[in-house]
Amino acid sequence: MARLKFLCDTDRCIECNACATSCKNENEVPWGMVRRRVVTIGDGEPGEKSVAISCMHCTDAPCVAVCPVSTLYQTDIGVVLHDKDTCIGCGYCFYACPFGAPQFPRATLFGTRGTMDKCTYCAGGPEENGSEAEFRKYGRNRIAEGKLPICAEVCSTRALLAGDADVIGEIYRERVVARGFGSGAWGWKTAYYPEEGV
Amino acid sequence: MSDALPENDPVIVHGRDFVRYRIWGGIVAFVLFVALIFQAYFLFFGDGRTVPEVRWGVTEYNGRDMGVQDAASGLLTATALADRTTFQAERYQTGPSPKEARPDYSVVPDTKMTTAPMEGGGKFTESWAIYGDDIGAALRPAQRTVGISSLPYPNAALFERPFGRDWRLGIADIATHLGAMAILGMGFLLALILAVRGRVPIAHGRSGVTVKRFNLFERSVHWMTSISFIALALTGLTIAFGKTLFAPFGEAGLGAAGWISTWGHMMFFPSFTIGIILMTVMWAGRNIPERLDLHWLRRLGGMATDGGPNPPAKKFNAGQKLIFWSAVLGGALMVVSGVTLMFPYFWTTLGTLSWAMLIHAVIGLLLVAIFIGHIYIGTVGMQGAFWAMWGGEVDRNWAKEHHALWLARIEGRGRGDLK
Repeated sequence: MARLKFLCDTDRCIECNACATSCKNENEVPWGMVRRRVVTIGDGEPGEKSVAISCMHCTDAPCVAVCPVSTLYQTDIGVVLHDKDTCIGCGYCFYACPFGAPQFPRATLFGTRGTMDKCTYCAGGPEENGSEAEFRKYGRNRIAEGKLPICAEVCSTRALLAGDADVIGEIYRERVVARGFGSGAWGWKTAYYPEEGV
Repeated sequence: MSDALPENDPVIVHGRDFVRYRIWGGIVAFVLFVALIFQAYFLFFGDGRTVPEVRWGVTEYNGRDMGVQDAASGLLTATALADRTTFQAERYQTGPSPKEARPDYSVVPDTKMTTAPMEGGGKFTESWAIYGDDIGAALRPAQRTVGISSLPYPNAALFERPFGRDWRLGIADIATHLGAMAILGMGFLLALILAVRGRVPIAHGRSGVTVKRFNLFERSVHWMTSISFIALALTGLTIAFGKTLFAPFGEAGLGAAGWISTWGHMMFFPSFTIGIILMTVMWAGRNIPERLDLHWLRRLGGMATDGGPNPPAKKFNAGQKLIFWSAVLGGALMVVSGVTLMFPYFWTTLGTLSWAMLIHAVIGLLLVAIFIGHIYIGTVGMQGAFWAMWGGEVDRNWAKEHHALWLARIEGRGRGDLK
């Protein structure tokens, strides 16, 4: 089975924010929320690195474990999806997420957070795959069409890789061997390997 | 002290005589014991890991309907997605580049993948967590990483916070499991006490004379606070344990119960806040701990025997003082952490919010356990206690047995012949 992951090569990311922009456009993400961001570490200093981050679709995902109303669920390709109809806006996923992925609309009554929104790996939600209702709530379902997330497919430097973990791991490994350096798979330990490896 | 209970006084009412109460106590104790065993089993043997519940499969391939999902459609999904992934390799391998022909980015036309529910996802979680040496060498160690971001969103500068996984352990494994143990354990203990010991009686029977204990204002404040607390507790418990309690009624029902609870939780907090502020003003002075309380606590308030004599107490005994301070201090913590959580990023960061949520959950569950004790002793646990807060008047014999010093003081003030 394919295990889909994200890998951002921090030696290639140029902080162009095309991933963030194309994500917002492709999925028509509501105002005030962002599913894909670019973070710059050590800005303006030698060794500055930029890295694109969204939901990493973790192994043994903490958000799914803490959700009190079973809004979040994982699929057999690793993608973590959510059901906006059952979400109560409690924010547990937001505290449990190691990557700050869950987003809440802020402009609601009495400070309630409204229903959560997060990266779907361009795989929609519980509605019928590829339906209009699904698009309105969750954005484009590219996986159903056999495509990968727009953020990675649009990346001009191919820093952001998405798809089968073995394949992107191999692409990254070959790249590091060819150029002779690499700062590693950022976030993978926390996201995909919560326990010690074998 | 002349009015204290003489030790040779006959005990007219015994705790063991409340037979019906004791039978019910026994039944409830048994039910709660079973629930406790269940909870303990899940605490030690339950699998809290996240497992996939939904599978993907190619249900339409090259315009052909594949029908239901099976192993083949799952395999086809994997192959299609892996093929697509290879397009992200270097340009000299997959183009587009001047030397190479433009690759075909499209998947097999008229192909569609759909989702379906799935059982036995545990094997996925297990296999995903394993990695070999080549991956191990490429892993950047888990570390908190925050930079800057040019995007104008709160928290946008965060890359990684491994603390999220610890938070999950704290809320899902520690707070909810131990909270359930505390609540069920408290209920079991009290039901067992009721079954074995019976109610705490008014040992000398009702005298027929009543004494004023709480005025209308005090009672109104008490009931406003308690109704708010019960509403907050029920809605909070729905959020904490809804998955276990409501899952049999379907996930839509769970969502609805959760939605009502979130809003209800916010509706009842203002009256609760006003209540604990007023209670602090009314009762804090009489609840300051003193040496007498140690004596009272050492003898467990004379709860073990019917005949007493009970350790003397003023208006509030040490047990009531403990309840008062749990309400006021615990309530204040709940209000502060709760309001903090209502306004994300207003004066806090994500880290502070996470801790506020953990504190809110743990203190809340403990308060529920403590106040089950308070409700018990104020209703079925002790004969005559309920009327103090309901009508405001208590039987004089009840006051004499449980609050001897207080009775002596108010009667002394009233008549002037005692003390």
